[in-house]
Amino acid sequence: MLWLRRICLQSKTLFSCRRITDQLDDEIQFHLDQQTAEYVLAGMSPEEARHAAMRTFGNRTLLKEKTMDTWGWGRVDQLGQDLRYGFRALRKGPLFTAVAVLTLALGIGANTAMFSLLDQVVLRLLPVSHPEQLVIVRETGNHYGNSYGPNTISWPMFEDLRDHNQVFSGMFCRFPASVTIGGDRAAQIPAELVSGLYFPTLGIGAALGRTIAPDDDAVPDSSPVVVLSYSFWQSYFNGDRKIVGQTIVLNSHPMTVIGVAQPGFDGVVLGAPAKVFVPITMKTEMTPHSDGLKDRRRRLSWVTAYGRLNPGVSPQQAQVSLQPLLHGILEMEAQQPEFTRSATAADRELFLRNRIELLPGSENKLREYMRRPLWLLVALTGAVLLLACANLANLLLARATAREREFAVRLAIGAGRARIVCQLLVESLLLSAAGAVVGLALAFLADRVLLRIYLPADAAAEFVVSPIPDGRVLAFAVGAMLLTSLVFGLMPAVRGSRTEITLSLKDRSGALSSGGISLRRMLVGIQVALSLLLLVGAGLFVRTLRNLENLGPGFPTDHLLTFTIDPSLNGYSDEQTKSFFERLNLNLQTMPGITSVGLSTMPILKGYAWQNAIVGKDFEGVPIEQQPILSEVGPDYFATLGIPIIAGRPFTLQDDVDRRGSNEYAYAVINESFARKYFPGREPIGQRFGLVNDMQPVKPDIEVIGVIPDRKYRDLRETPPAQAYFPYFQGPHFRFVNIYLRTQGDPRQIEDQLLERMRQFDPHVPVVGLQTVNEQIGFSLRTERLVASLSAIFGGLATVLAAIGLYGVMAYTVTRRTREFGLRVALGALQRDVIWLVMRDVLILIAAGLAVGVPLALALSTLVRSQVFGLGPHDPLTLVSSTLALALVACVAGLIPALRASRVDPLQSLRTE
Amino acid sequence: MGKPNDLVQGMLDLLILKTISLEPKHGWAIAKRIQQISGDVLQVQQGSLYPALHRLEQKAWVKAKWMESDTGRKAKYYSLTAAGRAQLEKEAANWDRLSGAINLVIQSA
Repeated sequence: MLWLRRICLQSKTLFSCRRITDQLDDEIQFHLDQQTAEYVLAGMSPEEARHAAMRTFGNRTLLKEKTMDTWGWGRVDQLGQDLRYGFRALRKGPLFTAVAVLTLALGIGANTAMFSLLDQVVLRLLPVSHPEQLVIVRETGNHYGNSYGPNTISWPMFEDLRDHNQVFSGMFCRFPASVTIGGDRAAQIPAELVSGLYFPTLGIGAALGRTIAPDDDAVPDSSPVVVLSYSFWQSYFNGDRKIVGQTIVLNSHPMTVIGVAQPGFDGVVLGAPAKVFVPITMKTEMTPHSDGLKDRRRRLSWVTAYGRLNPGVSPQQAQVSLQPLLHGILEMEAQQPEFTRSATAADRELFLRNRIELLPGSENKLREYMRRPLWLLVALTGAVLLLACANLANLLLARATAREREFAVRLAIGAGRARIVCQLLVESLLLSAAGAVVGLALAFLADRVLLRIYLPADAAAEFVVSPIPDGRVLAFAVGAMLLTSLVFGLMPAVRGSRTEITLSLKDRSGALSSGGISLRRMLVGIQVALSLLLLVGAGLFVRTLRNLENLGPGFPTDHLLTFTIDPSLNGYSDEQTKSFFERLNLNLQTMPGITSVGLSTMPILKGYAWQNAIVGKDFEGVPIEQQPILSEVGPDYFATLGIPIIAGRPFTLQDDVDRRGSNEYAYAVINESFARKYFPGREPIGQRFGLVNDMQPVKPDIEVIGVIPDRKYRDLRETPPAQAYFPYFQGPHFRFVNIYLRTQGDPRQIEDQLLERMRQFDPHVPVVGLQTVNEQIGFSLRTERLVASLSAIFGGLATVLAAIGLYGVMAYTVTRRTREFGLRVALGALQRDVIWLVMRDVLILIAAGLAVGVPLALALSTLVRSQVFGLGPHDPLTLVSSTLALALVACVAGLIPALRASRVDPLQSLRTE
Repeated sequence: MGKPNDLVQGMLDLLILKTISLEPKHGWAIAKRIQQISGDVLQVQQGSLYPALHRLEQKAWVKAKWMESDTGRKAKYYSLTAAGRAQLEKEAANWDRLSGAINLVIQSA
């Protein structure tokens, strides 16, 4: 227990330091008095005795310090001193401190923020048990049928794989759907339709009640149950624990809430959280417009299948062992009439070569879409980190040189070298700590903002952003900056402690030591090169954004408002839905401020496409990549969007009446590409074609009645593909519709009125995604905008930092050469000679930096080829303007010290010697 | 007698512990006592006495108490703790061994 007492004693001395120091004084005084008394007894006068006692005692202060050292707090005390001194030193140079801390914060903050974003959006695995075992099972190659996306397979295919594979401990599938939750607060919410083993395979439990079990998905239409996501339960039902067992209405079907999923689980697509989970056997109720489950269509791929690999089985092994199984299924499918109806013998051969591919379970569209841009930004921030390090090194070198005399003085009055190194170490640590704190705050804020830009508003609110940035990157960035500050903060100290003290002290006038000037020049060169890289990147991305924005879709978007609406989710029958839209069309046309109403089943510029093979007299099924893009539109659609009809006529309501009830399109409007591709050299009006259907053979009897010019459809980057439009009210089904409204004035001003009018029209059918088309386009360009604005900010900051670095080095050089300039002027040199003398140096520095930077920029810009649009990766305008801008800024930074040099008064400069 | 002999730290600790083993003493008295007993051979420098006392206190071998001295003034009196007594025995035994050994070497040579 001795050690415990010792610790007690030590802490006592620390906390009652003042009292104990006083007691030590008393003790020493007592000793002196005793000694004095003894000397008096021996016959000395009191005065003499006191002096003698003090003489024998020796240096009282030294003794006190030595005694206090034994208390064991010497180091702490010294550290406190160093800290206080460090604070004072940093406060004395506020400009240096501010620039250094900001540099550090920029380096740490930008890297941490960017990597955290990358990690959370692109790299992170799903929040389920053993996420690395989870894979998406997809079929490569052409599916020959209808498809909901590249990672989907048909329901019967999923059942075959689930029941006959040897590699998965469990398999499940999912289908995302929008459903309308009924009641006072009718809203469309994202739902996840899941097969029975979804929750057990993921290893996700219930926070309340139970999750969906295999029994729930035994018989179609038989299990009207729903599991809520934890966050939806909290936000929509206020965490009401009595919700289990109650009934909610989804798509007009009463569904029993059986449980709430465990917190933090929002489905298997990061960035697109699901709010409710419903057994997939309720497909008909949840998606009234299509089935695919009960009809067991093999030519409709719609579910995403997942498997959990058996322990010890690698994805590669599993992939190989699944091929024979898939091949057997494909052989069987290729015999079926659904397949042979639309496929040729060549198609069949290709089809049989389809393979199983396993993707990481966390893969999704958002990730795929953001991977390249985010890695690009991470690379940019890496360059920023390098640059920040170079700048910090430069700053520290400059500061240390300026403090050389201070160190000399401190060495002269007896400071140990270790003590000076220690002092500098503390200062570096203080700076780094301040930089890290500011950088972390910056990273935290930046991540919030960036995620908000990136994810749909709804998802951003619920997307679990860890408030603690990624530890590894933080450690890396802080470590890099710390290392820089230590190396370059200490280098001068070590060197300084070797310099001749007397020389440094004697030399008052200013022949400062070389101060690592060659190193500093090199650092400036590096800064110039890196700045050029960032500027070129910024130029490329900003010009890409401009190109895309200026390009536009090919029709005027300024007074265009859009929203989506789906009455079929309220249980409306086809007839009711049709009548709903007919009445809505008339209703909105009479609304003040609206000039025209168009409706379309496929939204424009959102990346969605409905593709189908077509047949005609001279052509048959084509590979899916070449299939035309289709849509059903209302009568005034083209007029509303401002797309002219260049031949024939648009749809009229008459077209709908003509063929009412026949369930097949009679007419089509096509674009020029379609006409060129399928009716080359012929008058397109009056030509006929048919839509290939796997359910039954088709005759080409859809008549072309009009032609429109080529306009963009899926996104702004595309070259308009072949397109065909059919009259909506003639179609076989009536489902969700995108409404487009042409307004007289600012479309945003009638948004509220419109919502109110829609509530009056039908309070049960929610309006979804009301926004202007310009806003929608802006959102679709968010990646480009993010990359462009961040790279522009980085480029600008880099240039400023490089300019500061260059200025610092030149200012220092000029100070060192003041006498030389004075002498030159005295001997007859003109002002411009002196300016040229300095500027030549500046130009050499800039040229060296650019000589490294330009080839590097040329080499690296090819890597971003896919991110630029409307210009080559070696865009000469960007390269030349970046180089010129950088050179100009750097020249200005160098010109300031040059001008100062030219104003040197020869008399004064020579007299200072 | 020339220069007073400097005491190495370990020896000084031993002497202090021994000096206060009978009764509590203040710093000046400890120095005086060591000087007297050793017949003026050992002179304790104040420069090393007080640091040594405080070090021993931190090690919890001695404890200190402010008491009235003969002159009526308050002084800091040091006395042994139980751990200090054990330490004294250990160091005294050590010293016996060491000095005996040195004696042997010197006498045999």
